Amino acid sequence: MSESILELERVRLQYGPVVAVDDVSVTVGKGEFVTLLGPSGSGKTSTLRLVGGFEHPTGGTIRIAGRPVNGLPANRRDTATIFQSGALFPHKTVAENIAYGLRMRKVPAAEIARRVAEILEIVALPGFEHRYPAEMSGGQRQRVALARSLVVRPSLLLFDEPLSALDLSLKLQLRAEIKRLHAELGFSAVFVTHDQGEALSLSDRVAVMAKGRIEQIDRPDTLYNSPANEFVYTFMGESNRLDVTAAGGAIRDLQGNLLPLSLEDGLAEGAWRLYLRPSRLSLSEHEPVRSNALRCTVSMVEFLGEHFRYHLACNGLRLMCDASAKLGLAEGSEVVASWSTADMRAYR
Amino acid sequence: MASGDITTRLLWAAGFLVLGVVSVYVALPVAIAFVMSFSDGQILRFPIQSWSLRWYGDFFGSRQYVDALVNTLVIALGATALSVTAGTASAWAISRRKTLATGALTLLHMLPLFVPGVVLGLGIAITFGNVRLFGVDLYGTRFIVMLAHSLWGMPLVMMLMETTFRSLDRQVLEASRDLGAGPFTTFREIVLPEVRTAIASSALFSFVVSVNEFYMALFLTTRDTQTLPVLMWLSLRSAGSPRLAVAAVVLMTIVLVSLVLLATGLRKRERKPQP
Amino acid sequence: MTTARGRRTGEALGFWLLLAPSLLLLVLVFATTVAGVVRMSFNGWTPPSFYVEDVVLDHYVRLATDPLIREAALNTVVLALQAALTSVVLAYVMTLIVWLRPRRFRLLVIGLMLCPLLASEISIIFGWWLVLPRNGLLSYMLVGSGLVSEKINLLYTEFAAFLGLVYAILPYSFFILLSVMDRQDRLLLEASADLGASPLSTFREVVLPLTWRGVVLAFSQALIWAFGIYATPSALGPDTLWTMGQRIQEEMIGRANWPLASAIAVAMIAAIALLLVLMRTMEPKERALG
Repeated sequence: MSESILELERVRLQYGPVVAVDDVSVTVGKGEFVTLLGPSGSGKTSTLRLVGGFEHPTGGTIRIAGRPVNGLPANRRDTATIFQSGALFPHKTVAENIAYGLRMRKVPAAEIARRVAEILEIVALPGFEHRYPAEMSGGQRQRVALARSLVVRPSLLLFDEPLSALDLSLKLQLRAEIKRLHAELGFSAVFVTHDQGEALSLSDRVAVMAKGRIEQIDRPDTLYNSPANEFVYTFMGESNRLDVTAAGGAIRDLQGNLLPLSLEDGLAEGAWRLYLRPSRLSLSEHEPVRSNALRCTVSMVEFLGEHFRYHLACNGLRLMCDASAKLGLAEGSEVVASWSTADMRAYR
Repeated sequence: MASGDITTRLLWAAGFLVLGVVSVYVALPVAIAFVMSFSDGQILRFPIQSWSLRWYGDFFGSRQYVDALVNTLVIALGATALSVTAGTASAWAISRRKTLATGALTLLHMLPLFVPGVVLGLGIAITFGNVRLFGVDLYGTRFIVMLAHSLWGMPLVMMLMETTFRSLDRQVLEASRDLGAGPFTTFREIVLPEVRTAIASSALFSFVVSVNEFYMALFLTTRDTQTLPVLMWLSLRSAGSPRLAVAAVVLMTIVLVSLVLLATGLRKRERKPQP
Repeated sequence: MTTARGRRTGEALGFWLLLAPSLLLLVLVFATTVAGVVRMSFNGWTPPSFYVEDVVLDHYVRLATDPLIREAALNTVVLALQAALTSVVLAYVMTLIVWLRPRRFRLLVIGLMLCPLLASEISIIFGWWLVLPRNGLLSYMLVGSGLVSEKINLLYTEFAAFLGLVYAILPYSFFILLSVMDRQDRLLLEASADLGASPLSTFREVVLPLTWRGVVLAFSQALIWAFGIYATPSALGPDTLWTMGQRIQEEMIGRANWPLASAIAVAMIAAIALLLVLMRTMEPKERALG
């Protein structure tokens, strides 16, 4: 097992009655890219700031490269943060910005110049040494921010929602950049975001957080396909939700109508929430394609670029189905929506 | 507002009338003092019969007036140095912390501004009248006036600097710490360059307040240390000559020169083009 | 490695160290001064000495009974009220113009309003001395242009004192009002017009209520400032027009009666403090908009 670069052991951050980080334990291995994913208020940013040294934990231990760093201030930790706004020094040139951390580490001037030029090549901004942040675009600024943190070769890179402030195309572009840089340079990273697309695409492992705790930490595909609980499931992507009651082996909707659904092990008595991803629904004209099926009418068709989203009305229930254009179903058409039992998840 | 509306037109006309009157009102005493300083006459009267620079010569030839001018400048520089140092330090401390105490502390710093100059002048004269510092009587020194003027200068600096410090991007400061800089380095390398304009402006403000201040100086200065405004006040009833006009112009020139120096000094450093 | 407590102590130390210079100034100079004045006001007075160590209420009694002092107090208050009111009205018109047409007028008006601040009060007094008397500019221009037949004298009149005082406090009213107005959203004017309101209605229903707080603030600040300015009314007004500040100068420098001068000063501070408290309590609640 590769040595771990970061160990959080039962870390806790509390302000008075508010618990921002609640007994969080996680280990990041050398060269690993771990994302903290969650909605605002989930504690992901607080956790990151604890690692960076901008906050200090009220309980637990943090170890970076084996060393406990609990009382160490930010400027003495071997971490480098990329902030959401980039946080470039506005009155310094790109070269001066990048050189800053090296100067603090007393690297000789000639070496600094060499490494600055080198890192600018790596982030695809050659020759930008003498530009000022105000003269550059948002994407370029974020790349300088990346360069500034990378150049000091820290044990751990910390990303604080660096893509959140960018527009979509820029976001995707920089996301690919970060992934490439990680593959090329092999740094260890903790990445914070609320965007599950980013988390899934960039990470070796993702920790889904809510209310200061880690709900599940796993590889992206495991997280998506085998969510540990309802929160993780619903957070990882959109889904259809059916509120049902199970009684005497039969499943009924809230109006009491019988639903022709079959689950593997059946459901215990009581109220349940059933979830189904829109992409796992199949639509056909007459015969169901899978084991669970409902007759529906197409109530609305949404064009979402990559695919169509069909909104279906099925006897009082509402479903969404994502499908390619080929279906060409119009509003009002009668269809049969079907899905496999394995694609359904039930939570109480 | 619809431009065709009669009411609107009338309102604007009235507004501009007020603006015009106020402009004349504000400019009049200043302009007239300026003009009168070039009069050749012995007394002040209109119309001005002849023009010359003799009163400027008289002013700069007068030991008393030149001394007063020097006193004014020295005191203003000292008061500014005190005010900017104390005010900036406090503003930095308060802008970094956010507790109940900071609100009270800010209010405390602002208190002297609510006390009239005459009361402060009286009070300091009474309280420090007999105080000796390093074997020197404080009363009658330029230092005591510097302290007095700082009571107003420091809060002014603090107000401006606190706003400025609060507007700094917190993440930029964190980035500096993150990359390894300690608090002093961060302040020197990252904060100071950003707030240069504000510090200069607040220094200028403090300087001008001190140069023009009259009430405190009246109570705290002696014949040796009196400032120009004090000398002017004392000469007002007795010597109504154009020499006073020159004094007024000299004071205004000092202020204008400092303003111009500030503006050009800042513009020279300004090198970032707008995005 | 620093402990949590060590780090907090370090931060606290740094905090107080930074505050030290100004706190020293405030405590050693300001607080002692105010305390000194209060203490002095209770001392006795036997000329030719400046004061006599004692604890008496003589001077406060004198404040309440001496007709000259009472008159001075009245003059101060009346003059200050008049000047504050006028300056606020004028400043309001100016800030409205700046707010509605910033591109053309903001720089100009701000520059204009800075003038009285940049010139010393004495210089201004001197300037008015050249304008107001019989042989001054005003007379010269009025007679010269044929508007009046003989020279008029405005110097040493109550109007001159008023004029000078308004001049001195106008900038303060202006900048306070400007900062309040700057925070208002001009879009509200368009919304009001869009809904059918005339300019006057918009002013009455939208602009005035929104800026009222600023008006109150500017008025009280101008008032406080006007209390302390005595040189202008003294130099421009009639010899009979005495203000509190002038009395202080007279008692302190002229009559060397330190305790009485202090008592008057204390009365002044008390009036200002009262005004500030009144202002706080009268402050309308911050309207809670989204």
